[in-house]
Amino acid sequence: MRRYFDEHGYTEVDTPILSPDLIPEPTIENFATTFSNEFVGSRELYLVPSPEIYMKRLIAQGSGSIYQFSHCFRNSEQLGRQHNPEFTMLEYYTVDADEQDSIAITEELLANTALPGCPEHLLPPFRKMTVAQACKKYAGVDLDKVQDPKTLRAEAGRLGLHLPDAPESWEETFNRIFLTFVEPSIPQDRPLVLCEYPAQIECLATKTPGRPYRRRWEMYAGGVEVANCYDEERDADTVRNYYRKAYAELIRRRNSTETVIPDIDLSFADCFDVGFPQCSGVAMGMDRLLMLQLGKSSIEGVILFPFSAMMAGR
Amino acid sequence: MIKAGQIEKGTALLIKGQPFVCVEREFVNPGKGSAFVRLKLKSPSTGQTLSETMKTQDNAEDITVEDIDYQYMYNDGENFHLMNTSTYDQIEVPMGSFPDYQYIMKDGETYRCTVWEDQILDIQVPSKVVFLVAEAEEAVKGDTVQGATKYVTTETGLKVRVPIFIKQGEKIRVNTETKEYLERVNS
Repeated sequence: MRRYFDEHGYTEVDTPILSPDLIPEPTIENFATTFSNEFVGSRELYLVPSPEIYMKRLIAQGSGSIYQFSHCFRNSEQLGRQHNPEFTMLEYYTVDADEQDSIAITEELLANTALPGCPEHLLPPFRKMTVAQACKKYAGVDLDKVQDPKTLRAEAGRLGLHLPDAPESWEETFNRIFLTFVEPSIPQDRPLVLCEYPAQIECLATKTPGRPYRRRWEMYAGGVEVANCYDEERDADTVRNYYRKAYAELIRRRNSTETVIPDIDLSFADCFDVGFPQCSGVAMGMDRLLMLQLGKSSIEGVILFPFSAMMAGR
Repeated sequence: MIKAGQIEKGTALLIKGQPFVCVEREFVNPGKGSAFVRLKLKSPSTGQTLSETMKTQDNAEDITVEDIDYQYMYNDGENFHLMNTSTYDQIEVPMGSFPDYQYIMKDGETYRCTVWEDQILDIQVPSKVVFLVAEAEEAVKGDTVQGATKYVTTETGLKVRVPIFIKQGEKIRVNTETKEYLERVNS
């Protein structure tokens, strides 16, 4: 994979995994630790859940296309076939490209780097489908017509889902429908790129002009979510607003659970003021990819010291 | 009430008034969204399975169950007959609710059962069990491409693929979930 990127004009980078601030992601719990020094005082630091903010700072400074294999950390992650609190992520940002270009790049990457014996159904060409098409096909839901929480909730009820009495966000109800009807039905004979995610799911992917979607895709291989791609937001104010909104939501959730509330750095958005290039970023779970390519049933089969075994003292 | 995130394999739940036991659990985080749990639940009375996807923070109605030891006596082709080892009460459990258990449970052996309102929700079979090899084919020499294996039948009627050196009358340890051979047991 390194050779592929090196030959295609990317620079490998190595950014901090121990950071004084993080990108606010309300649903991703963080690990915190403390830097301590008897003369300069102490400061809370965090293990990064992805190298995104540092890689974007480099791109803003003119690095061009970059890639990184990075250890990433997500706390409270439920252990299981597809989760380990410490995992390896490949992130690659391609300058002067959009999310459609990233599909072709990812196809070429996997076609050129698959391990010997990799099953056919994990290899390109990818199947492509929008989230709206998938919802229509597998759940009979017309997303264009259920754009507010109330109508979507009614739709979920019609499908026989049990929703708690308390109101919930559009995104949460959407995820119920998606996970119950759509994700289990995803064809597995080829990798599937599910594109155009609903705009209600807040993230740093640009919006599709004139339609309530975002230029974001997720790739499923063997039914497992393996990669996520954004056409990266470049507008500083939009990034600032996202930060404020996501941080407020993060604090709201964590105040009740008393989990780590990381510091954020609002000045991060300033790096977009100076002219951030058009760019598309992909994050790929390396443990999951290797698990699939090697025919293992759990990522623990490709991690030398799985978290669950360490916890059990093995 | 428990949170859906607390449900694990073996947890008993009440769904629309019917008891179900969780047989599979997988956590999923869609995209960067909040945590969900995907459950496969089984009705012990009908064997019917049900898939449920819930947010880990959703409430689920759990039921208080008791662990009681039962001795497995026999099956009549439709039901397993078990006896409470302290009260000697006998109970029937539909065989269809526990597929393959007829080849795993041994006559006269005691199993811990999950019981709710006089109904057996789960028979807790150990994940690894030692069986006696009742029948073994003669090994066919030469066919070693697949690592040289053959089939044997245990005293309970379970067919297991084993290495060719296993002989009739020997004991083997088997994973009862995957029905795979683990090792030879020297007695």
